[in-house]
Parts: sequence; C-alpha cells; structure tokens
Amino acid sequence: MSVDFTVKDPAGIPWTLSEHLDAAAVITFHRGDF
Amino acid sequence: MRQEEYLAAGGRVYGLSADTPGQNSAVMAKLGITIPIFSDEDKEAAVRPLGFDDEKDPRKISLPGTVIISPQGEIAYRFVGRDYADRPDEDDVLEHLRGLELPATTQEAVTPGPAAPGPTAMPAEGLPHYFRGAKFANLALRRRHRHLGEEFTDDTKAYIAMVDRYLDALSDLEERRA
Repeated sequence: MSVDFTVKDPAGIPWTLSEHLDAAAVITFHRGDF
Repeated sequence: MRQEEYLAAGGRVYGLSADTPGQNSAVMAKLGITIPIFSDEDKEAAVRPLGFDDEKDPRKISLPGTVIISPQGEIAYRFVGRDYADRPDEDDVLEHLRGLELPATTQEAVTPGPAAPGPTAMPAEGLPHYFRGAKFANLALRRRHRHLGEEFTDDTKAYIAMVDRYLDALSDLEERRA
C-alpha cells in the first residue's frame, strides 16, 4: 500500500509527503502540546 | 534523535502531531529542534490512517511512535506506542532504515513559525524537574514491585533509559544556549 498525505509545516504551509520522497521519511509521532 | 545517523542511512527525520502549527513551533523553539514538526489537526491525514489515533483519549493527541516511509511510498517500519511511556528503540528504527540500503541524504534545518504554545505546555525550565521526577518515581516503583517479574522490570528499565536520554539532550541544549 502506497502512503501519501498532506499536513501543515510549522509555518502553517501545506506539506505533501510524496513531494519529499527522494529519500526515506522517518516520521516520529508526538503526543502533543508538550 | 540521532539525526546524522538517519541521514547517513538515507532517511530524513520529521515530527508530527495533532497540534496546531503554532504549538509545534513553540515546541521546536523550546527544545531547539531544527527538524519540522508537522501538524495534522483533525488527525485525518496521517494520525488516524497510520494507526496512531488514541481512541481511549478524546483529546487532540496521538499515540507516540515512528513510521519509516520508503522512497516508493511504502511503510517500511511502524512502531505504535501502547501509551505515552512506550517509545521505539532507536537502534531498531535505524536497523530497519539501513535495511532499505539507500544512499545518504541531507536535510535543511527548519526555523519554527510564530510560537503559540497551548494551555498545558510545560515551560522549558520545568522540563528537567519533570523528567527527574518521572525517573525517580519509576525507580521507586521498580524496587517496590520487583516481584512482578521481568516484563515489568524491562518496561521500567526502558522508560528510565529514555528519560536519561531526554535529560542528556536537555543538558546539551542548556550548554548550547549558555
């Protein structure tokens, strides 16, 4: 299954995973509001 | 986070939470983080589809963990923490990344956007106290409940090792800022 998604970067600008897969993406999920 | 090792193995490192970009920017600024922390506020883009939604917790938070997405867009590794105290072993994550046999890569440092911390965010100066408290509570519980066996001991050992890494990182951050 191929994965893709669009989220917002820290400046609030959309960021799409598939546009950055010239390398692997290691994504760490955070609980939040720390 | 051993960013140089990930880059050498062909992986760029990103954070992701269900917080707002302002909250994520506040965390980046507070911890001196130069990798981006992305925002999936309604949890529909990545948190829920990748299995990190904490169904037992109605707040805007996700379960902790790590996913490696290969350049082909495939999930090469996924660790979903059972709770907030359960994080992946970085040696294990790196081993899976190295298994993809990718060329080394680079990653530009990211500057946080405008910081807007949430109401429960802990100030930077409180973090070492918080982690020391968590560590010593764990040590006490480990001593008190040795009879519970190996699984309990291993869990507390892993948690204490994680807290020690956080304390080292905070100490490094303090030195860099001094």
